[in-house]
Amino acid sequence: MSEKKFIMGNEVMGRAARAAGAKALYGYPITPSSEILHFWSGEACGEQGRKEGLVFRQAEDETGAGFMLIGGVLAGARSFTATAGPGHVLMQDAFSMAEAMRIPVVAFITQRGGPSTSTVIYSQSEVNLTCFGGNGNGFRVVYSPSNLQELFDYGIKIFNTAWKYRFPTFLLADGYLAKMMGEVEVYDPAEKGIKMVPTEAYMLEKDRKRPLSEVVPTPEIDIREDGGRQYECLRNCLNLEEETYAVNMEIKEAFDKAAPEIVEHEDYGPQDAKTLVVAHGLVSSAVRAAVDALAEGQDKIRLFRPITLRPFPEEALRQAARGAERIIIAESAVNQLARFVKESLYGHCDTALEEYFRPSMGILPKEIIDLVTKA
Amino acid sequence: MKEPFKIIASGEGGQGVLSIAKIIAYAAWQQGFHTIYVPYFSTEKRGGVSVAFAQIWDKPIPFPKFHKADLWVALSQRAVDRIYDYLHDDTVTIVNSFLVKDVTRIKKWKPYEIDATTIAKEQLGKPRTFNMVIMGAMLKFVPGLSQEGFAKALEKTFKDKYERDASLRELNEQAFNIGHDLVK
Amino acid sequence: MPESKPKRATKPEDFELALPKCARLSSKPHSFCQGCGHPEVLKALGFAIDELGIQDRVAFGVDIGCSLLSWDYFNMDSVETHHGRTIPTMVGFHHANPEGVAVAYVGDGGAYAIGSGHLLNAAIRNENITVIVVNNAVYAMTGGQEAPTTLPGRKVATAPCGADEYYIKAPEIIRNVNPTAFVARGITSVQAPLRTIMKEALTHQMEGKGFAFVEVLSQCPLNWKTLDKPEKTFEVLEKELAQAYPVKRY
Repeated sequence: MSEKKFIMGNEVMGRAARAAGAKALYGYPITPSSEILHFWSGEACGEQGRKEGLVFRQAEDETGAGFMLIGGVLAGARSFTATAGPGHVLMQDAFSMAEAMRIPVVAFITQRGGPSTSTVIYSQSEVNLTCFGGNGNGFRVVYSPSNLQELFDYGIKIFNTAWKYRFPTFLLADGYLAKMMGEVEVYDPAEKGIKMVPTEAYMLEKDRKRPLSEVVPTPEIDIREDGGRQYECLRNCLNLEEETYAVNMEIKEAFDKAAPEIVEHEDYGPQDAKTLVVAHGLVSSAVRAAVDALAEGQDKIRLFRPITLRPFPEEALRQAARGAERIIIAESAVNQLARFVKESLYGHCDTALEEYFRPSMGILPKEIIDLVTKA
Repeated sequence: MKEPFKIIASGEGGQGVLSIAKIIAYAAWQQGFHTIYVPYFSTEKRGGVSVAFAQIWDKPIPFPKFHKADLWVALSQRAVDRIYDYLHDDTVTIVNSFLVKDVTRIKKWKPYEIDATTIAKEQLGKPRTFNMVIMGAMLKFVPGLSQEGFAKALEKTFKDKYERDASLRELNEQAFNIGHDLVK
Repeated sequence: MPESKPKRATKPEDFELALPKCARLSSKPHSFCQGCGHPEVLKALGFAIDELGIQDRVAFGVDIGCSLLSWDYFNMDSVETHHGRTIPTMVGFHHANPEGVAVAYVGDGGAYAIGSGHLLNAAIRNENITVIVVNNAVYAMTGGQEAPTTLPGRKVATAPCGADEYYIKAPEIIRNVNPTAFVARGITSVQAPLRTIMKEALTHQMEGKGFAFVEVLSQCPLNWKTLDKPEKTFEVLEKELAQAYPVKRY
């Protein structure tokens, strides 16, 4: 069933969700993510989709879509959404509820220019929002894919991460990735030995494998027996500071425990290079090309790329930074990736950090090469 | 190939410039190349200048955008005025001269001025085929892409349309050949 | 002979006879204010659920505001959402589990102000859920601010000089955008018909007929400042409110 296709990034993400066995997409159209909705609505009204009971619902706005998504997950459906920019801002309302109650929502984000309406094309300026949006502490998982194939591979993986660890999980793509077309290998995860983590309804579950109280923070769940049946009441409005503290600490503990299993990074290029370039997402693809171009000369560089932005590969970065004479942080935003880098290296590294911030602009391989060779 | 071959197609939203780049990228992919296509789209679906980037290489392509094109096509005056920045010294330039009256700005590149609109209207009797005329001209400059391979890609792209109206296939072929023969 | 005063219920078991079977006795006495209308609405809903025998099928979504206090009122799977967001949550739930009976329980602020877009569009799309809105003409939980339902001239916390001239008649609007929905307005002070309305609304949904909408006129003695004047409370409810908002099926 594995097949190479020439398709657009948005279709890649839609196909990834389909391959992952997702059942429902709740969304609201916004450029550059809309074709994910087009793809899914097409699937849902096709013969096979109807047979499988695929759900597509276009909400009244992104707030509505986000809460519909929560409803879908509460009912135990592998559900997801797709959004960008100002719509993503609205959806944080729902994502913060998901974070509080350990509801495994999945979202494909295609970053566009910001702040405000801005351009529909490209940026990396939704890193802060994706990682730390809402009024919580950022207990979410965020993957940053760097090419079309990774949109598919990680587009499957996010569903498993979400349902295994029960944190809101994001695929943080961008407008170029969403809109570009190229070759992608699409496959059935089973062929590659990937098992899909089963889902479980939070409400009206008839066959519960493990008590929900092992997942939802204790002050937020109340389970009572009546007539031999358990009834779950989930809440997020708490009375006491102590309860809220307990919720936060329970979530933190679970996140800290899961983080070493989730965290991923890529370390590319010669280990003896004196210059380390830190980049994520599409920009890291440009850096990878620069690494290759400079591999033979004196100005060798090495790429450190966090694949997960949350949790961030702190320890791996510290090791990669050891011995680097130059560290350059390149991102299509201002200080959004860099903040993670500074936090990770604080107290561990004496090398000055150089910032190459190009908010909402693409960063091409040549710019990286110039940065290294012309300094 | 030392570098990817880079193509820009630009014009007005709705003219089909995105399709031009997409079809060429798809055709190259069908012939075994690595290709990436990305539209440089604006907020509105209609009414803005529309630009598409395509790259063709024998290796995986690292980044979807680039600064300088090897083959550059402009289908409107606004496109010439706003996208000429993407030219390097040896860029091949093609314009639809029916819509681009003033080429002063790109004079030193000696653009191929093709009146695709008039050809499509008068010789072919179907104004929408002007894109096919342009593609015929473009294909002369894309390295490694065969005309047969391109025809196959067209078959797949226009499968539904050809099934509805078989005469369209012949019309497209004619348009393509006219464009192809216009550049020497 | 002095009239024997009814014994005041204080322990959970005292409530057993007065409450629906699906009510959770251990969470009683309830945590609403004295004289509040919410428990009356919940009771009517609970008895309807008992009669239909669907306690195990209901997914009960509650909004923020006073409605949130109902999160543990029933022995039913319940979830508290965000202010105004219960309707889309239950819409999403319903599509993923059409066998469940999705009920959204919302106040007038949640349904008609912050969540009005959700309500209106769920009605337009004829979503197969039941929405119950408790209309007490005021933001109660947050301290008596002006709601879209506050009657003209009424002095409230954020309208000390009197509320605006216009107010929302939601069932009328819902009927306007959805000709086939179940739409009715009830009132807490007349329990039996309220229970019937609830039952009809749930049945409408369970038969797959689409959107079911019930608004219930309810009292808020605390914010109406009638805590020690029950007659006044019911005068406001049955005269002023019911006059502006007719109790009927639409």
